[in-house]
Amino acid sequence: MSEGALVEFIERGAITVGEVHAGSVLDALNVSQFGQEVVTYVKQRQGVRLLLDFHRVEYLSSAVLTELLRINQTCKEVGGDLRLCALNDDIRKVFEITNLDKMFTIYGEHDDAILKYARALSIEAQEDAWSNVQRDA
Amino acid sequence: MAKPFFASDFESTMEALGVALKSALRALVERGWVESGQTFYAQLCLEEALVNAVDHGNERDPSKRVRIEISEEGDTCVIRVYDQGGGFSPSDIHLPELEQMNGRGICLIRYCMEAVAYDNETNCLEMRMRRNAACPKEG
Repeated sequence: MSEGALVEFIERGAITVGEVHAGSVLDALNVSQFGQEVVTYVKQRQGVRLLLDFHRVEYLSSAVLTELLRINQTCKEVGGDLRLCALNDDIRKVFEITNLDKMFTIYGEHDDAILKYARALSIEAQEDAWSNVQRDA
Repeated sequence: MAKPFFASDFESTMEALGVALKSALRALVERGWVESGQTFYAQLCLEEALVNAVDHGNERDPSKRVRIEISEEGDTCVIRVYDQGGGFSPSDIHLPELEQMNGRGICLIRYCMEAVAYDNETNCLEMRMRRNAACPKEG
């Protein structure tokens, strides 16, 4: 993780975990940096399966939601996927109020999130393989 | 109109906004309107209102000013944020489509605060909250 970076990226098998280190808050002052760091990372990784981990984040505003939508769009552009985990109750409430809990897949704690995300990818791969078999038959 | 117990006037930059936001939040805690450690929703509403004034009202023009005043009216705390922009009506702003990038700040304020209004004559966004009540409505 480079000095002053807000996000540390760690590869866990097929999944890349982006651990948000934001000095406990993501506010109007550092939100652009957060978005820029993640978008730059995603653009360099075709098909990235990104799990953003918010367990250190105590606060965020709607500016972060905008950045997450931008990151999500960039993930799609590179054929990847964005999911979130470890939101505290207040932050989860912000997603519920804005209906964005319906847009993003949001998991609980980190380890559980990795398991569930990996399982979802495995099912997805099986479905793709099955579709290919049916198409070739 | 009651005399404000907090007032700050600042240029339309994110740095100045950050300073004003921290001072306003501290004043709310010191006057007992928000409990220390329970500041999430008060900070959220203050930040959304100030960012709205700087970004959408004054379009980040540093020559334009934003003013915040906080006063007490009985059991209600009144937060007024003045900008020098073109004005808007909070009731005209609805929760955006899921993939739309912006437009959620005022919706969050409306959800968390007792009342929200914008006066186009004075360019003032007024938010009203009860003591420790800046939190999402349940149910």
